[in-house]
Amino acid sequence: MDKVESLANEIYEKYKDYGVDRKEIVEKLKKLLLEFKVPESEAIRTMNNYIIREYKVPREELKEQFTKIGDIKEAGKWVSVKAKVVQLWESGSPSIAQTGLIGDETGVIRFLIWAKANKQPVVEGKSYIFRNVVVDDYGNVLRLNVTRISEIEELKEDIAVKPIEDLREDTEVVGALVAIQQNSGLIQRCGEEGCNRVIKSGKCPVHGKTKWYDDLRIKGVLDDGERTYEVIINEEGVKELTGIDIEKAKKMAEENYDRGAVLEELKKLLLGKYLKVVGSLTPRYLVAKQVEFYRPDIKNEINELLAELEEG
Amino acid sequence: MTVFMKREVARRVFAKELMDSTYAMRDEGEKSPVYILTPLGLKCNRVFIIGALTEKTDVGEDSSIYRIRITDQTGSFVGYIGRFQPEAYDAIAEIDVLNLVAVTAKVRLFEGETRKFVSLRPESISIADAESRDYWVVETAKATIQRIREMERGEGENVKLAREIYGTDVEEYRKAVKEALLRLKEEYTVEEEEEIVEEEEIEEEGDIDFDIEEEEIDLTELLED
Ligand SMILES: [Zn+2]
Repeated sequence: MDKVESLANEIYEKYKDYGVDRKEIVEKLKKLLLEFKVPESEAIRTMNNYIIREYKVPREELKEQFTKIGDIKEAGKWVSVKAKVVQLWESGSPSIAQTGLIGDETGVIRFLIWAKANKQPVVEGKSYIFRNVVVDDYGNVLRLNVTRISEIEELKEDIAVKPIEDLREDTEVVGALVAIQQNSGLIQRCGEEGCNRVIKSGKCPVHGKTKWYDDLRIKGVLDDGERTYEVIINEEGVKELTGIDIEKAKKMAEENYDRGAVLEELKKLLLGKYLKVVGSLTPRYLVAKQVEFYRPDIKNEINELLAELEEG
Repeated sequence: MTVFMKREVARRVFAKELMDSTYAMRDEGEKSPVYILTPLGLKCNRVFIIGALTEKTDVGEDSSIYRIRITDQTGSFVGYIGRFQPEAYDAIAEIDVLNLVAVTAKVRLFEGETRKFVSLRPESISIADAESRDYWVVETAKATIQRIREMERGEGENVKLAREIYGTDVEEYRKAVKEALLRLKEEYTVEEEEEIVEEEEIEEEGDIDFDIEEEEIDLTELLED
């Protein structure tokens, strides 16, 4: 089905109760899109206004079409969503007024409000309608862009956001591991059923002195120059990167009479390295499911950048 | 929703741009950290760099402070590591000069009597490999080109402020980025030539004409302005 047909169907579905003529919609759309070559969003707006006027559709009955965040799958689409601002991040660029995460009951997505859009700032924890925002793809992460033609309207109702633990969407992040926290390496966890908390100075924060078991992990900071991620890499990931598993780590600790020796070794091997991490992004942590050293095609990247510089 | 402490991002910036900086600023609010504003309008408090450790000198009493110099494709960063930064201090003690190092550091502006200059206060330092260094140059070039673009568009408070303070000539930085990239490219071109030579040796008589042609193409690319 071509673009005109599919758009016509969408519009027809929306207004069929008002006796609109499908053929008329197709003809008008053809004119707008093919003859006058107006942008798709303008064609839709024009059609909406025309039908509302000609068929006397009561404006208040017009149901706005909102997209669920979980249904946003591809770049290039214009959508309107009702969502809550889950988190705001520090904007790394003067051309971006605000950036962060918004969500509804189906998922969360990154969003950014361009400085040029000239909008009132949104507030963390408040819900809004984001009208006419465009989806783009930035390093394999979909984002909603608030531009000049977008509208932001504060909602009185509170939009429920899908619990972050339920989010199964994986994110890919490439960044430098700029810090490894002290509670990394060969750690002890509480052995009380279902607890698993990390033991500090021999005590579980809940169960006090208790039975424990060994675990190997890295809690660190991945930084791509634009934002930071608190990354958690489990034993499997540590082994993938360094060849050190729990058994090796225990041996290392025994030989040095110091569990800290494992952490020192991991720091030597991993600090300052570029990692590609695929994992689930919670508001606080990036929990790695797959991790590897990042090895891009440098020559290709150099040539692309040199070409960009030639363009001026 | 819990508010988490925002960690300052480690910016990617070449030595030339950072060391040309002479202006420090704060955000509104008492707890704001100090930022350096670079001539291209980057506001940074922390950097991540990969370069060659070209100097390491004891300057404090009883080796209590190391002065280090880290050189990239555009110039050198200067940093000081004292015992009050134990992680970096213990690490630098074991690293010899003329190694590639990866450094995460806070940036500081020292205001001397005659001039102001930027120095690094490393939080961590470790041995780096050449591949990571190459990607750092690529990443930093990308970030710098973006800043050049933003400065050319002249939008944003920091860009305007930087232009006012430094009267920035973006061409100077465009040139530095280009030179850094060309230097890196050279390395990859040489590597390829070596590979070709090796193949020739193994296969005895390779298609010599073809190889020469390819070499010529690579050289012209290098010389192109
Ligand atoms: Zn416990």
